[in-house]
Amino acid sequence: MRNPYEVLGIASTASSADIQKAYRKLAKKLHPDLNPGDKAAEEKFKEVAGAYDLLGDAEKRKRFDAGEIDASGAERPPQHFYRDFATSDEGHPYTDNSGFADFMETDDAFAELLRRGQRARANRRGEDLHYRLPIEFVESIAGANKRLTLPDGGTLDVKIPPGLVDGQVLRLKGKGATGAGEGVPGDALIEVEVLPDHRFTRDGDNILLELPISLSEAVLGGRIRVPTPTGVVTVSVPKASNTGTTLRLKGKGAPRRGGGSGDELVKLKVVLPKSPDPELEAFVSNWTKGKEFNPREGNPS
Amino acid sequence: MIVSKQEFLTSSGIEARTLEFWIEQQWLIPARTDAETAFSDTDVARARLIRDLKSDFGVNDEGVDVILHLVDQLHGLRRALKQLHKDIHGPLR
Repeated sequence: MRNPYEVLGIASTASSADIQKAYRKLAKKLHPDLNPGDKAAEEKFKEVAGAYDLLGDAEKRKRFDAGEIDASGAERPPQHFYRDFATSDEGHPYTDNSGFADFMETDDAFAELLRRGQRARANRRGEDLHYRLPIEFVESIAGANKRLTLPDGGTLDVKIPPGLVDGQVLRLKGKGATGAGEGVPGDALIEVEVLPDHRFTRDGDNILLELPISLSEAVLGGRIRVPTPTGVVTVSVPKASNTGTTLRLKGKGAPRRGGGSGDELVKLKVVLPKSPDPELEAFVSNWTKGKEFNPREGNPS
Repeated sequence: MIVSKQEFLTSSGIEARTLEFWIEQQWLIPARTDAETAFSDTDVARARLIRDLKSDFGVNDEGVDVILHLVDQLHGLRRALKQLHKDIHGPLR
């Protein structure tokens, strides 16, 4: 940053009245809102305003003159000026067309272009509004009807299609902001967030589930009840199932786009009784074949 | 973004009475819902311009009136020019 005295074009002996005068003279010429089409004006204005922030404050000026602070502290953070909004396509109540109303009254092509532009703004389509909707995992698979409460107190009924994935955006046509004049309303864009589930996880179209089974179910097999996102089903566990054995429930996964469904993959996990069982201990100590079996055989040690 | 009157006062450093006067003069035209006054980004930026004019440039109330009227016309013209450009050449980048 340049020396603030240089920026304002004054001597270092200038009085505070002189400083203000110099600043006002420059700022009036350079203020971005009074120069809406001049991109360079903003940089120059920021420099001048920064210099004035420093020298216009008697205390800061004293410290600067004494070398305690330098000019870099006087740089202004970026700021949005009125001009950044005033010419935008979104309507606002400050629009004033009286500056060229006379040009529009004639009958030539130029006037027609101006009039067309004005009609386009008068019949502007409404804005799209963005929302976020958290849903349960089960709802993302089976589908659901949800009601979204809007910031203005209104509600929006949202149909969650079966098989939706986290982050998917649903577009509700015409449920956005109202348009101006004959302009159609915008759309509501709803980003759906699928909350994590303590049982199920999703892998593409498949659903993964880890299911504990008892030792006797693992050894002898049996029929067990298995949760799926669409309800509980009964499944046969084959004899001699193990931890890691995976059962495939056909068609119990997420619906696929264009028909069909993925599968639910149930990974079994053998769980021993919580408290030590004397009978089991006695059986295992006498079970010769069980002791001979080494599951780590062939593993590098 | 839309902010409430209280947030607007806090962020702009303008006093409530000053704000009321500006709205009375129609220098600011915030949207009104039933209970609340809602200020858009455009309103906030415009208030900053008015504050600069009054406190930094020493413009009096009559002067602010004249400047805002001219600035609004200037932006009206700029929009019309932008639209014309679009109609003739396709959208600006």
